[in-house]
Amino acid sequence: MEIDIKHIAKLARLSIPEEKVEKFQKEMEGIIEMVENLPDLNTEGALVDPSDTMQLRKDEVQPSFPRDEMLKNAPNTAAGCIVIPRVVD
Amino acid sequence: MGKLYSLSAAQMKDLLNKKEVTSVEITKSVIDRIEKTDKEIQAYISYNFDEALKQAAAVDEKIAKGEKLADMAGIPVAVKDNMCTKNLRTTCASKMLGNFVPPYNATVVEKLLDEGAVIIGKTTMDEFAMGSSGENSAFQVARNPWDTSRVPGGSSSGSAATVAASQVPVALGSDTGGSIRQPACLCGIVGMKPTYGSVSRYGLVAFGSSLDQIGPMARCVDDTAMLFKSICGRDMRDATSKDYTYKPYGDSVKGIKLGIPKQYFGDGISAVVKEKVYRAVEVLKAQGAEVVEVSLPSTDYALSAYYIISSAEASSNLGRFDGVKYGYTGSKRGSLDELYESSRSEGFGDEVKRRIMLGTYVLSSGFYDAYYKKAKILQKNIAKEFDDAFKLCDAIITPINPTTAFKIGEKSDDPLAMYAGDICTVTLNIAGLPGISIPCGFSAEDNMPIGFQAIGKKFTEDKLFTIAKCYENAVGGFAVKEF
Repeated sequence: MEIDIKHIAKLARLSIPEEKVEKFQKEMEGIIEMVENLPDLNTEGALVDPSDTMQLRKDEVQPSFPRDEMLKNAPNTAAGCIVIPRVVD
Repeated sequence: MGKLYSLSAAQMKDLLNKKEVTSVEITKSVIDRIEKTDKEIQAYISYNFDEALKQAAAVDEKIAKGEKLADMAGIPVAVKDNMCTKNLRTTCASKMLGNFVPPYNATVVEKLLDEGAVIIGKTTMDEFAMGSSGENSAFQVARNPWDTSRVPGGSSSGSAATVAASQVPVALGSDTGGSIRQPACLCGIVGMKPTYGSVSRYGLVAFGSSLDQIGPMARCVDDTAMLFKSICGRDMRDATSKDYTYKPYGDSVKGIKLGIPKQYFGDGISAVVKEKVYRAVEVLKAQGAEVVEVSLPSTDYALSAYYIISSAEASSNLGRFDGVKYGYTGSKRGSLDELYESSRSEGFGDEVKRRIMLGTYVLSSGFYDAYYKKAKILQKNIAKEFDDAFKLCDAIITPINPTTAFKIGEKSDDPLAMYAGDICTVTLNIAGLPGISIPCGFSAEDNMPIGFQAIGKKFTEDKLFTIAKCYENAVGGFAVKEF
């Protein structure tokens, strides 16, 4: 099993420094080898247990967090908005 | 009253009710204890001492007025650093959340504060709860109080260490694949992973949402149950939480049937651990429990299913950390993609990156059926095998960790060896079942604690506490490390 670690990293929006590529690749191949032993099982039936229902809250208007409090943790804000790099020209 | 910090939560509660001590006195004793011992134990990422003293004073005021106290009122509690605490830094032991100050409390924290509990600080852990030794913290590695050259286990490493070192009577941990039970076992304390859905996950930083569960850790069974009682129950903000009512427990195992699955006592488990667990079963048998053999044949595949499902969910959950809304922001900000990539690459540690990439791989196009779907099918099988086993018994007894606590650094370069240690604990999370870690002696080889696990049907925490309490009484209580 050979894994293109750089491709997976890119999909996950991670970059792996060149000197660590081999280490990550080897470890990942080992891990994949470990988890590969799953048997072929009967795949019929739903994967979600229909008897285990989730209870949703009522759709009622409730006070939400104040904007300034939520923005306190944002790295870069201006005029009550989050600032990000330009995405359209 | 010299050693208030070393009392159990139940003893503290008793003294508070009798007005023999104040919560401020208890809290000061605990703070003093932590200040004297935490350089060595390194259990805490953040202390909350000033606020804790205020919370304690508020309880004392209520006592002075003659108000009736809730169970946890005035009792110091440590909280794992992946549960949100309003205005108190919550880091997940990650550079990614190094400066994150939550604008809200997790439901469990809110419940504790409502009862008047005193939040003493936030404990260290493996980054984002990924790890089995506590060594994956971006900040510090907690030590095992029984031998500080050894790990306390993980991921709730700080919570286990602080309780075992008698810095606090009780702590909250979280358990996705054994992260409460394994460190409790390696530190010689009690830890419970409740049934999925019996405790709200609101405000718990998500790792594997379908597996994560918050639970109590303490030096005795009564304290573990008392903390569980105050945090369990339905919460509208967690749609997977259930209408769960705490049930009192007993101390007799007469007529209780204990199942012993041979698959959990295989070659991978050290002889000394097996011997102690079998001896614990004998103790329970002498107290009137019946013992039957059960079979859980899919156990061999559980580790694979666990690492596939938990990593898949983690890769999705951790997608939110993008350097934009909160958390660490990266050094390259030329484009949005650069910002994402540099924030995540600089903010996450290596183990977190491994899990995210494993999750990304198993969910990626062409591999989904081979890994994730198979793992989900296996999850159903594992749950069904437990259901079948519970037709023959009331609880299942197994080891927790294959060995005693290992030395710091011993396995940190070998992720596979680290993952393999989780074999006895992950199955419960996969099946959503409750499990409790109960100390059962020490290894003659290294004098380190060993524990055994009692697994129950869903929502039978009371039965597990009964078994644990019966065992605790039968052996005359659990050893506490003089530290």
